[in-house]
Amino acid sequence: MDIIESRTWIEWVITIAKFAFCFVPVLYILLLIPMERRGAGFMQDRQGPNRSYIKIPFFGKIRLLGYVQNMCDGTKLFFKEMFAPAGVNKILYYVAPAIPFAIVFLSPCVIPWFGPMVFEWGGQVVRIPGSIVDSEVGVLLLFGLSSLSAYGAVLAGWASKSKYSFLGALRTSSMTISYEVCLGLSMMGMLLLAGSFNLTDIVNWQEHHVWGIVAQPVAFFCFLIACIAETGRAPFDVAEGEPELVAGYHTEYGAMQFGLFYMGEYSHICINSFLVATLFLGGYSVPFVTTETMQAHMGGSLAVLCGVLAFFALAFLHLIYRYSRKLKATNLTNRFEILREYSLYKIVAWLAVAVFIAGGVCAWLYYDPSKFVVNGFAVGGLATAVGTALIHLLVLIAKSVFFCWVWIWVRWTLPRFRYDHVMHLGWKIILNIALINLVVTAVIAKLVGGN
Amino acid sequence: MLALIYFIILGILAVGSALCVLLSRHPLYGALSLVLSMLSLAGIYGLLGSPFIGVVQVMVYAGAIMMLLTFVIMVLNGARDSKTPMFDGVSLFVIPGVIVLAALVGFVLVRTPMAFDETTLRGSVALTSRTLFDVAQTGPGYFILFEILGLLLLSSMAAAVLLAKKRLGSVDSDDKEEK
Repeated sequence: MDIIESRTWIEWVITIAKFAFCFVPVLYILLLIPMERRGAGFMQDRQGPNRSYIKIPFFGKIRLLGYVQNMCDGTKLFFKEMFAPAGVNKILYYVAPAIPFAIVFLSPCVIPWFGPMVFEWGGQVVRIPGSIVDSEVGVLLLFGLSSLSAYGAVLAGWASKSKYSFLGALRTSSMTISYEVCLGLSMMGMLLLAGSFNLTDIVNWQEHHVWGIVAQPVAFFCFLIACIAETGRAPFDVAEGEPELVAGYHTEYGAMQFGLFYMGEYSHICINSFLVATLFLGGYSVPFVTTETMQAHMGGSLAVLCGVLAFFALAFLHLIYRYSRKLKATNLTNRFEILREYSLYKIVAWLAVAVFIAGGVCAWLYYDPSKFVVNGFAVGGLATAVGTALIHLLVLIAKSVFFCWVWIWVRWTLPRFRYDHVMHLGWKIILNIALINLVVTAVIAKLVGGN
Repeated sequence: MLALIYFIILGILAVGSALCVLLSRHPLYGALSLVLSMLSLAGIYGLLGSPFIGVVQVMVYAGAIMMLLTFVIMVLNGARDSKTPMFDGVSLFVIPGVIVLAALVGFVLVRTPMAFDETTLRGSVALTSRTLFDVAQTGPGYFILFEILGLLLLSSMAAAVLLAKKRLGSVDSDDKEEK
């Protein structure tokens, strides 16, 4: 098979391993649900759900900062009976929740998770792109897929044979069509500057010029608003506005079928936050440092990364210590129980700090790619490439988590818009601003760049 | 070889779902089959080495236009439409027409040499844009057609808006609103 022999085995291993990134949106659900719940609690000056616990020996009731609650919720959804009301259209009713969830697995394929890995392997230079599908159409593929995911909501609403679901589906389809247009148009200015649809090229342009948010501030805000609207969350959740439509298009759904819609929504947030981070916040590129500089000083870069992680662990420890001191002074009956639980977190965090600092010091002192030889085969280039990819990935995740928080922030801050206001905002304001922005960008790019 | 297998699968999907559009009773099923047909067409475009056209097919046809179509079908009275007979007087003219057209297309397809050469089939983004927007005097001049198409779409949209406006502002609808 010449298709297999056309690449070295290490290329095949990395290419296949990259398919694991398909599961990133699903893993983000695990992060987003606790973030949403505790975040909502934080915004409304309450605790948020944090009472469920797992009992383990010695440390007592472990609540994992409210995380156990989500495990309980997931288990409940999973073991509930799947129920279809009488009179629904059976085939479409069961197919509909699967559509948005299936698209979730396809969407991450064009996002560059790290810069192209270039290294020398056995005398030949190997180049592996950072996205699963390194296509020149790049971001258009993502838009095509996300426009398909609205079919799930539309079919669900129609198949349920309920007026509330039906109205929700109608609103979803009209809102998706409107905001797709805004989303595409506001992104075009950035594509014009970078001169490519490929997201790796766009990130590369941002790395060597300026971030998209500096070059295209107006487009950034249009894009962010259209993104939030497209995920169908508050303040744009007219499709499932509780006071008007019960729960919109998934009124008749329960158990894991509802769970699939729910997971599809959260994964959509994840994909969109990755997209905003990639298009306007420099994607995987580290601020103020180019990839070449980072690769030249790989040991130092890894040490800085470990230092940042150790700082986060120390900040967590600070929070825990401060709260335990406050708790000791009160006379709550369960305070000793909570303090015993916190001692577990303290042990884990101190261990993490020790590991990160030790790793940082080792990387600083002993990292030398020319020394990495396995069975007389130099793997130093691979080590540097993997280290760069790791730093890139963590930077991208940090940026996208920030945008995930923006989603939650917006949801719990703004009240819901009325349906006609949403349409007015989409068609008469954002679309026009995006169009003017595109024209201005094109004129300036022609005058300055001359391309 | 692999490309041929993909092509056969996608071709069967495209033709099968296109037949479903004709034969399905309910318009919504017809619309969904059309979506499937368009998606498989997009796959075939990608297979022919022009992923740009394929993605635009997904985005514009499967995503936007078919979404609008499903929207319209859902607003219409679906219960009555599913009782429409599949064959009636008009079919006497339509079915022979379809058969003749299929025979003609089949004849043309059989006569053409079906060579599948991967190296000559390329429709990258750069090539598409260079061909479409070549404003040089010696160029193909497709950009004029492109502009004219834009004008045509704009005029048809204006006409649609005018028609809708007339309906809304007429004496009939005003009376209903007052009641």
